[in-house]
Amino acid sequence: MGEPKIPVDLILSKLVEDADKARARAHKASDVLLGPLDSEIAATPYEVVCQEDRVKLKHYKPVTDIKLKTPLLVVYALINRETMLDLQPGRSVVETLLAHGIDLYMIDWGYPTRKDRFLTIDDHVNGYMDTMIDFIRQKHHLKKINLMGICMGGTFSVIYSALNPAKIKNLVTTVTPTNFDTDKGLLHVWMKAVDPDHLTDTFGNISGDVMNFGFLLLNPARLMIDKYVGFLENMDNKKFVENFVRMEKWIFDSPDLPGETFRQFIKDFYQKNLLIQSKLEVGDRRVDLKNLRMPLINFYGKYDHLVPPQACELLTSRVGSKDTTDVCLETGHIGIYVSSKCQQEFAPRIAAWLAERDAPDQKPRKKKSTAPKKTKVKTAGRSKSSQRLRKDTQRSG
Amino acid sequence: MNEKHDKNETRPDFLSAWMKMTGDVWGNMFRSWSDATATIRPSAASPGGASSHAQASLDAAMKAWQVLSSTMNRPEIMDSMFKGSGTMPEILMQLAQSTLAGFMEFQQKWFERAGRIGKSTEAYTFEDLDENAFRAWNEIYQKEFRQFFNIPQLGLTRFYQEKVNQTLDKFNLFQTAIGEFIRLLYLPMTKSFSVVQEKLAELSEAGELPEDSQKYYQMWIKILEGHYMTLFQSTEYIETMGKTLDAMSEFSAAKNDLLEDMLNMLPIPKQKDMDDLYKDIYLLKKRIKALEKKLKH
Repeated sequence: MGEPKIPVDLILSKLVEDADKARARAHKASDVLLGPLDSEIAATPYEVVCQEDRVKLKHYKPVTDIKLKTPLLVVYALINRETMLDLQPGRSVVETLLAHGIDLYMIDWGYPTRKDRFLTIDDHVNGYMDTMIDFIRQKHHLKKINLMGICMGGTFSVIYSALNPAKIKNLVTTVTPTNFDTDKGLLHVWMKAVDPDHLTDTFGNISGDVMNFGFLLLNPARLMIDKYVGFLENMDNKKFVENFVRMEKWIFDSPDLPGETFRQFIKDFYQKNLLIQSKLEVGDRRVDLKNLRMPLINFYGKYDHLVPPQACELLTSRVGSKDTTDVCLETGHIGIYVSSKCQQEFAPRIAAWLAERDAPDQKPRKKKSTAPKKTKVKTAGRSKSSQRLRKDTQRSG
Repeated sequence: MNEKHDKNETRPDFLSAWMKMTGDVWGNMFRSWSDATATIRPSAASPGGASSHAQASLDAAMKAWQVLSSTMNRPEIMDSMFKGSGTMPEILMQLAQSTLAGFMEFQQKWFERAGRIGKSTEAYTFEDLDENAFRAWNEIYQKEFRQFFNIPQLGLTRFYQEKVNQTLDKFNLFQTAIGEFIRLLYLPMTKSFSVVQEKLAELSEAGELPEDSQKYYQMWIKILEGHYMTLFQSTEYIETMGKTLDAMSEFSAAKNDLLEDMLNMLPIPKQKDMDDLYKDIYLLKKRIKALEKKLKH
């Protein structure tokens, strides 16, 4: 029987070393945590130019000359808040789009209360969104504007554009679920076992905190343990703490979801998968994806655990447009907007894509072949930095 | 036997003596009180005054007590009353037997489970878990206890009592469901610890134990993450999650129903009233918006 080769002395000396480091870190951390911290989010200046009920339309103040004639409206999801797009200077989609000369608008859905429990997807899409889009069209004397949707907001944007193709010039979808018949993402698996009628009838609205708990459960080891271990390891680093607190502020700022919207989203999307089959009905009108004849760019994250690529990538093959592009970034659901690497790959790319399609009387692009122009872009193989990026994303949720 | 017989015989005598004594004590007190009030405030005792009404009520109560005590003293009534009271322990005994049987079954399952402790479940497998305590308890609750909450209620307050029973029943079901759900969430923790131990033993045998404590943590968190991913995709987890959400909704609905009955006594609107109002406002706004759009176009 061979003797176990355990370097007890080395392990013990390393433990002592670690304990010393931890003590020194805790000492420095108290200075950081007790001192002034800049953890403000959504700091880019804007003004509310239109409001209907709780829903506001933000117009960001330009930081440079407007280079694109067509303004861009960003529609965020009803889950969490649009502040994620403007988390901090240097890591802000809003800031980058403004820097590229885009006239930028964004919908702030506000905080639904009990009285909003009866609001359906129709009310959000054909009601609030339509009001905001008409406002921008009238203000700029334009027939069409550019529309960009985030996650569930992307799904809403797809529905809106299919129902109102005459009002949308270019469509940008980002981490947008359109195909729900996949078992790749846990949400897709879990939502099939949920009874939305039961929950909606009982609770009215679906609590933001309950949904957040569900999202944390998607990866408790990383999101409930490792993330905070990471914080403890870096809490003596002021910049790290500030960024961490910013992310915490955003992630736990969770408005409730109007009950009827939740009911329809779970039943018609997650359980029946009607949208991608062009069988969905919103406000007594069928949402035919073939009506999406405007240029479409569709971004998604390769490591997205909430909306996996399988839930996003079918869209471009089902629309009527001949100018479609899929962009798969090597990141997760949130990393696409907040990671340092994606700051270069994401927003600047949208700005460039929109600029190419900004001509007021743009003629249909000449096709090189008879096949429709469908671009599929994937970033290069996983580099070291992309691996680090993934870790960042998991930590950030 | 004789002693028991004697005890039964003495019971009515004892009760009648107590009733007589109680009647005498309260009668004397009442007489002293009315004499005293008549002396201190003669006007208060005047016919038609508040005091005379109170006195009349007390008179009536005393008379009723005297009639009741003399009636109760009759041997046939005493016998019937004691017979009736004898059935109460029988019901209690049945309940106790049922509880005990349930407890025994519960304990037996625990022992069976304890016997299997040595046979650890396979890592990354959550489909064939041991029968667990929560399930055993749920079974016993459904079989034995739940019926008590479903006994038909009678009388004027039957609807209210039924709601109380339903709330208690739904609360118990919710507790069981959430208990099982939390147990499932805890499973990857225990499994990951045992996998880490196995790995450490392997590394130690190979003489490859890392010196850096961070590496142990990284090893554990990776294993834990893997276990959670496997658990979350298992049918067992998905079913338990669905059942827990259902149980939570049912308990919440039953609790709200009960609270709304209580709120009926207060001069405030209930959630249901507000919901009705919200719906009316919602529909009205929708109609107005549609009309506005028509007018614009």
